Amino acid sequence: MITVTINGREIRLEKPVTVLEAAEMNGIEIPHFCHHPLLEKWGGCRMCLVEVDKMPKLQTSCTLYVTDGMVVRTESEEIARARKGILEFLLINHPLDCPVCDKAGECSLQDLTVKYGAAAGRFEEGKRKHPESFDDPLIVRNMERCILCTRCVRMCDGVQGASAIAVTNRGSRSSVEPFSGGRYNCEYCGNCLTVCPVGAILSRLHVHSYRSWLVEKDVRTVCPYCGVGCSFVLQMRDNRIVRSLPRSDVGINRGILCAKGRFGYEFITSSERLRTPLIRVDGELKPATWDDAITLVANRLMEIRDKYGGGSIGGIASARCTNEENYVFQKFLRAGMRSNNIDSIARTGFAVAQRYIEDVLGQGSTANLISGIPRSEAVIVVGGDPTHINPVLGIHVREAFRRGATVLTVGYTPGLERFRTHGLSPYPFTEATLLGTILSEIVNQKGPHGEKVGGPQEIARFFEEFKAIPLSDMERVCGISCSALGNAIKDIISRSTISIIIGPEIIQSTHVRTNLFLLTAIAYMLGARIYLLSERPNEQGLIDMGCLPDTLPGGRPIDVESFRTRDEELWGCEIPSAAGLTLPEMVEAANSGDIKAMYIMGENPVYNLPDSAFVRASLEKLEFLVVQDIFMTETAEVADVVLPSLGWSEKDGSYTNLERRIQRLRKAVEVEGMEDWRILSEIGKKIGIRMPYNSPADILEEISRVSPLHAGLTYDDMERNTGLWPYKGEPLRQGPPRTPTLLPQGSLSICNAQTGRDKLYMAIERHMFLSGTMSRYSSALMSIYEGASVRINPDVARRLGQEGLVSSTETM
Amino acid sequence: MERYLLKDIENPRSTDIGEYKKIGGYKSLIRALEMSPNDLIDEVKKSGLRGRGGAGFPTGMKWAFASADPKFPKYLICNADEGEPGTFKDRPILEKRPHLLIEGMAISGYAIGAEYGYIYLRGEYPEARDILEGAISEAYRDGFLGDNILGKGIRFHLSVHRGAGAYICGEETALIESLEGKRGQPRIKPPFPVNVGAFGMPTVINNVETLANIPLIVEIGADAYSKIGSPECPGPKIYCVSGHVEKPGVYELPMGSTLREIIYDHSGGVRGGKELKAVIPGGISTPVLPPDRIDCPMDFVNMPRYGSMLGSGAVIVFDETVCLVKVCYRALKFFEHESCGKCTPCREGTGWLRSILGRIDEGSGRKEDIDLLLDVAGNISGKTLCPLGDGAASVVTNFIRHFRDEFEKHMGKTCV
Amino acid sequence: MKDELLSEIKRLKERYPKGEAALLPALYLAQKQFGWLSREAMQSVSDCLHVPEATVKGVATFYSMYKHRQIGRHLIQLCTNVSCMLFGAERLVDILSERYNLATGGTTQDGRFSLVIMECIGACDRAPAMLVDADLHCNLNENNIGEILERYK
Repeated sequence: MITVTINGREIRLEKPVTVLEAAEMNGIEIPHFCHHPLLEKWGGCRMCLVEVDKMPKLQTSCTLYVTDGMVVRTESEEIARARKGILEFLLINHPLDCPVCDKAGECSLQDLTVKYGAAAGRFEEGKRKHPESFDDPLIVRNMERCILCTRCVRMCDGVQGASAIAVTNRGSRSSVEPFSGGRYNCEYCGNCLTVCPVGAILSRLHVHSYRSWLVEKDVRTVCPYCGVGCSFVLQMRDNRIVRSLPRSDVGINRGILCAKGRFGYEFITSSERLRTPLIRVDGELKPATWDDAITLVANRLMEIRDKYGGGSIGGIASARCTNEENYVFQKFLRAGMRSNNIDSIARTGFAVAQRYIEDVLGQGSTANLISGIPRSEAVIVVGGDPTHINPVLGIHVREAFRRGATVLTVGYTPGLERFRTHGLSPYPFTEATLLGTILSEIVNQKGPHGEKVGGPQEIARFFEEFKAIPLSDMERVCGISCSALGNAIKDIISRSTISIIIGPEIIQSTHVRTNLFLLTAIAYMLGARIYLLSERPNEQGLIDMGCLPDTLPGGRPIDVESFRTRDEELWGCEIPSAAGLTLPEMVEAANSGDIKAMYIMGENPVYNLPDSAFVRASLEKLEFLVVQDIFMTETAEVADVVLPSLGWSEKDGSYTNLERRIQRLRKAVEVEGMEDWRILSEIGKKIGIRMPYNSPADILEEISRVSPLHAGLTYDDMERNTGLWPYKGEPLRQGPPRTPTLLPQGSLSICNAQTGRDKLYMAIERHMFLSGTMSRYSSALMSIYEGASVRINPDVARRLGQEGLVSSTETM
Repeated sequence: MERYLLKDIENPRSTDIGEYKKIGGYKSLIRALEMSPNDLIDEVKKSGLRGRGGAGFPTGMKWAFASADPKFPKYLICNADEGEPGTFKDRPILEKRPHLLIEGMAISGYAIGAEYGYIYLRGEYPEARDILEGAISEAYRDGFLGDNILGKGIRFHLSVHRGAGAYICGEETALIESLEGKRGQPRIKPPFPVNVGAFGMPTVINNVETLANIPLIVEIGADAYSKIGSPECPGPKIYCVSGHVEKPGVYELPMGSTLREIIYDHSGGVRGGKELKAVIPGGISTPVLPPDRIDCPMDFVNMPRYGSMLGSGAVIVFDETVCLVKVCYRALKFFEHESCGKCTPCREGTGWLRSILGRIDEGSGRKEDIDLLLDVAGNISGKTLCPLGDGAASVVTNFIRHFRDEFEKHMGKTCV
Repeated sequence: MKDELLSEIKRLKERYPKGEAALLPALYLAQKQFGWLSREAMQSVSDCLHVPEATVKGVATFYSMYKHRQIGRHLIQLCTNVSCMLFGAERLVDILSERYNLATGGTTQDGRFSLVIMECIGACDRAPAMLVDADLHCNLNENNIGEILERYK
């Protein structure tokens, strides 16, 4: 226990913190500029000077750690003089242009000058000139206002890891610049904006558009872009979002955002938003009233259901809609259409992996806290660049590396180039071979029956049968030096807390099952935590809501009768017992005519699924297609009825992130129209489904009764951030234990050399600023997107004689 | 007095390892390797050697701190970033006696348990770099550096890291940043380099002259060494004298020689028989002294009693013709140029002081400017991250303290 | 050019426990090869050392001996600090301007000389002093400075 006295008050502390932190914890304010809780200590602005007994000079409280018996004063004549002096220094070269500065009203320099500064200036010489830079589409840089606290640089360097800006020059000529001196070549996380205490770096999205004190309300909500689920505050004025601001004390992102979260909110006010229902008349989509559209949809769906049976109807749920909406959607299909043909785009990756891993390693095995990544001793990244797919999670990997973790990447991860210990790039299609060898080496070195005796039988059996390509052949087969691989494996094995991050590329490849098996087995052998990257905000949520062909809400298998009976009682209907079709099966069935009608909510399969022409043609064959969306998507273009819904920030509800945290989504913008759940329940009512909902809270209340996974869950739980799996611990599985097919057929053959070095293969790189749907309607994100590009290994290009040649690329 | 540090510098081949061996070179290293590292540290502690870079920290104590830190590897850095204006005392060692420095570093490395050493050499000494690199390869060749020094299984590697024109890198934590490839800005202390230094590891940073004293201590023993010069800070000291004296140059004298002795007995007195007006005793950052204070013994203990500091022992002499406002102005130009920009008072304050002084120098100063200068200097002093800002403030306050009338007379007038 | 630089920088890296530490010497090498630290020069260093380009620029602009514009064939680095000032260094600056039309920080029209004003170069006992390229010239005065510069074509 440490006892310090600050301003005569005795303060007891468990662990040594800085004087500034100790003071703040006890409500004593010490003015400062360069200190920021997220950033490395700097000690440069000298504003936080305090008096400490037995120390001859004033001390910077942001860098001085308390020691037992220390006596500190934060207010005295000498301190007041020092603060006044520092403020005077900061202002001599400052333009004093508060009337036109967007920071006015929330500027530390302004506030502290009012409180501690001098009334008049004594500096008569000319001020330093530095023209404001408007070279960048998103960031305005005003170096005359800069006080060189370097918070932006330390954020960019030490937290974000982008290192896109630096202080250039020296002394009073210093300024903060990107390499070009003008436009940024950066990750556009905008985290520099959050930490700038003055008006030196501003977002162009709101420059000169409002004064900070004119913000009418702050709405705390969750980001609509990816599965990390960052929290931020939407600042509202005149029913428009003026800014999204992260808070260092709120949410898993703790004050950090990525480009999409920071700048991507404009899509919601896009002029291309759908506002009126459309009905296809004579081959053309024409505006219609809600009544007509709803009646038409209800009647046509009932007609088709009654004519061909429930199995002729399919539904695609949305990983961008809320839990409540996805719950209503599957209920609509199951109870109303009597169909289990419910799936989503998550089928192409996340859902498959998530279900597989849970089947093998047990329920909740993918529910791991993102905040645990930096505390890992080793991180393995496979199948994509987390800094692009889930940027804020990617930052946690970078932090792990900085804290000394071993980081091993498999595949192309440009965002981790400076943050990895071992980078393995196997030849195309040899990932499984490589993973097989890694697994086999781990088994050899750790022993298959070590402390893991009693593990899943299939894994144990596999260890006995498994013959991977030997390490020594890795160079030939995968193009990976065997010593590098050997070192990497040894390094990983020597670590204790290990995280494995699995991205979409490895689970969207041809050897999904093999890859998943190997990754799961590696995780099992290493006792590692698994993180599944998720490109959409609610992939986990829609799985948990039962938007799968074989699963009821709460992850309960549909073929267990007791589960069905329970839900049938609650819903007042009959639920088909056989599993429905998966997403690709539904597309096939649409094409073959087995599926006659589809209801697509907030999804764009024509754009998002491979072989767009086939998907489109299949959907065109349907007798009836309903698309519910906020934009006129490529899929909506072929629909019979298009229903405009409300988007993120226009409705309440919840999302479940990739670590299975359920978080509140709040309405910020008041706009006319119907939410997805409301449209569905209006139609449902006409069909005779029990959907007595007036708000998402009503739906959540029903969910908490239906899904044991969500038993008793309330919005208050989410508020308190306790909406994290497992919620109340009620058993989720009943009936006979399921034995998943662990070993895919012929899996071992994949471990034979199968490389394609004679052909060119194109790998898809996920873009950091664009995810394809909402981001396309954000002018801010489009302004920093440099367009699609193809990159070729220079050696290959030379070999092909293609150097300097611009080739055209077509995708299907 | 017999010269130790500058022995043999007149020999045109003094940089040659053979010549160095002829006068007993590397014998101290051989002897040191017979001793235990702890005994060596004790010997240096007992010798009373204090760092010659300016701060005067007891060298043995610094070594003991680094040696006691269990982290490994440790580093030894020679601070050869001699940038304090008026200072050129390390230059003859670097350019004429590179092997003395190398021997000193090999002994020091062994004492503290460092296997890697760097000589952080200022960019402005291109010739010294070639000489040092030549001498280092000779030392490697003859087994005084490398993986198995003199067959004793002791490892010490040495290379030159060239600075690139930043005075601040003479400050030890800025020097470390610069060695690590960063902007040379001082770090917050604590932690001190002896615990968290280069690459996060325990690091000893000693000045060139300090390290050059080590072979002597080993050679003659701590007892004999401690009898040279002032009892409180013994040893030989290189003073470098420039400005208005008859014989500017470097003088190796016992520590504690008075300023008067240095100027009049060794440097031939004020040039052309002119009157002495002022002396900066230890490089431009040290407080200027008026002629009535030149009987001060030039060592770390006595100089503060006379209102100044030993600093680097760089004596700049001004005769009666000098305009001290101009000197002060030029000094502040230097500090503004060299301020690293990390902390507010130094970054903004040095420029402000410079511009006021520039105004006075140009003849448009006002009487109130003197108080403004003192006030601005006061707002810098004691509030900066490192001593650079303090130095700038102290130059202004001390020039005004001793020569206020000259500043007053300069108001509204240019000097002729 | 970049390959050559790369191999030299690789060699430099071996001197340090962390590759980034070779940044200062690498910048010297790049400056020597490119003549000055152009955008391309700094980018090459960034690529070779895996140090972000903005960071490279931050470091390169901190130190006054790295050049950020094309310089003449010979670089004059003239000290004007106190000891040199006492012996007329500032007059020498004027002379260079008058005789060679060479301003501080500038380059002569024929591209022969560039002039940089230095803070102390440690030759105070032989003031005023200057470095021309890597050569130290001392005890300069109005007369001998011209003769000295004549040796540099």
